[in-house]
Amino acid sequence: MILIVDDKKENLFSLKTLLQLNLYDVDMAMSGEEALKKILKNEYELIILDVQMPGMDGYEVAENITGYSKTKDIPIIFLSAVNIDKRFIAKGYSSGGVDYLTKPFDPELLLLKIKTFTRLYKQTKELNDIKSNLEHKVEARTTELIEANKELEKSNAELQQYAFIASHDLQEPLRKIITFSQIVKERFSIGAESTQYVNRIIVSAERMRTLINDLLSYSKLAATPEFLNMPLSLIIQETITDLELIIKETNAEVIIGQLPAAEIIPDQMRQVFQNLISNAIKFSKKDNPPQIKIWSDFTKERSVEARPDLNGSYCRIYLSDKGIGFNEQYLDKIFTMFQRLHGRSEYEGTGIGLSIVKKIIEKHNGFVTAKSKEGEGTTFIIVLPLKQTAKPAVALHK
Amino acid sequence: MRNSTLFLLVDDDADDIIVFKEVLRDVNPSIQLIEAGDGLEALEILRSRHDNLPDIIFLDLNMPRMQGKECLVEIKKDPHLQHIPVIIYTTSSLSRDIEDSMLKGAVCFITKPSSLKELRHIVSSISQNVHGDLGRCLRVLSNTSTTFIVC
Repeated sequence: MILIVDDKKENLFSLKTLLQLNLYDVDMAMSGEEALKKILKNEYELIILDVQMPGMDGYEVAENITGYSKTKDIPIIFLSAVNIDKRFIAKGYSSGGVDYLTKPFDPELLLLKIKTFTRLYKQTKELNDIKSNLEHKVEARTTELIEANKELEKSNAELQQYAFIASHDLQEPLRKIITFSQIVKERFSIGAESTQYVNRIIVSAERMRTLINDLLSYSKLAATPEFLNMPLSLIIQETITDLELIIKETNAEVIIGQLPAAEIIPDQMRQVFQNLISNAIKFSKKDNPPQIKIWSDFTKERSVEARPDLNGSYCRIYLSDKGIGFNEQYLDKIFTMFQRLHGRSEYEGTGIGLSIVKKIIEKHNGFVTAKSKEGEGTTFIIVLPLKQTAKPAVALHK
Repeated sequence: MRNSTLFLLVDDDADDIIVFKEVLRDVNPSIQLIEAGDGLEALEILRSRHDNLPDIIFLDLNMPRMQGKECLVEIKKDPHLQHIPVIIYTTSSLSRDIEDSMLKGAVCFITKPSSLKELRHIVSSISQNVHGDLGRCLRVLSNTSTTFIVC
């Protein structure tokens, strides 16, 4: 529907006839005030406005229309006398489009402009509808996501509780298997062969105990993290103290270079270095004391190849040994749970250690990889962001 | 006046009682052991013995009819029994159980070890110090054993 506003009846009617001949619906108003009343009550796709009217002139009407949010997009065509007032051009009225024609106007030209502007208005309306539709959809999806997240957190907590109870209940009969086997071995004279078999029972049961503990550790990794800003050298020192016994027994040498501070989960990082260092000791060459070196550099990209850059926001931690190494084609395999490169008779282990390392580093928004040569040694490389932007970190006060 | 040392073991798990008996017999065969299958039975036994009370009570936590913690509270309430040191001997390693037991008056908390050697070490230490400086013995054990917490 088009609204035409003119104080002269003849003008209104001739314009109305023209428009209706071209199949437009038309409404009329004889003054600015009447026009505004009608605009507030009805929906118009275009307003044709005579500029020279007594009372409120065309410009004032236009100003009111653009001020009202419901109508600000309606395009306006001013019809004015030859001396067009530069005022409206300078003001840059409504976003719906403004144009003018001088009287007497060319009907064809007017129709052309009407066509353009009504199309423009229709498109603007469609766009707004799509926009609000999308906003509703996004809101609905976000609510769904929040709900799904809550469900996940709940099932995560349940899983953790289950893992804890299962591990506790599984450990009990295991403890008894171990204890009674030891009693049989020590209290009764059962002979050398029987003792050997009982030892195998004990060893298997101990391995199962370690496995259950490792699985429990792995399940705990799902919990929400709390990052603390800590010097990594401290973590590694603590790990070395924990491994004191085996380091002494194997005569292992651990050389630690400069290491930065980073936002980390201390317990989990300790686990990472415990696993990596004990691996390095375990997979050392026969008759050679393990030689382990730990150093670091900084880089701007989250990559192993990127060149070192002191101003980088990532640190790379290298842990190398001169052990038996492995064939790099198995790189993915070593980080996969329960995948082992050696038989159990050659090297003890549950096969979870490195997958725990990988999971922890991923939790820290970094990644871990390794370079190795069979017979020469391995270097593990951890790429770690110095800051975790998601949650605010607590500074460690010592 | 009693001559031999007496321990009371309160546990509903038959296997754990057997193991404890084995170790005790190994370490010090002269020490007598009486058993109770739960907290109520333990209290009955304790209240029926007027002059032959145990020197130490080893108390499990999760038992039927009366939980270990309740039994502990009852023992510490009773003027005839409250002087007996109570050692918690359980499968649990939860800090909430440890704190609670300490608050209720246990002298230390042992999580049942799977190593026979370790259990022997603990029982042996305690047996040797029953009539001596038990407190110090427990503190030393706490430092050397991962399953042992002293109050």
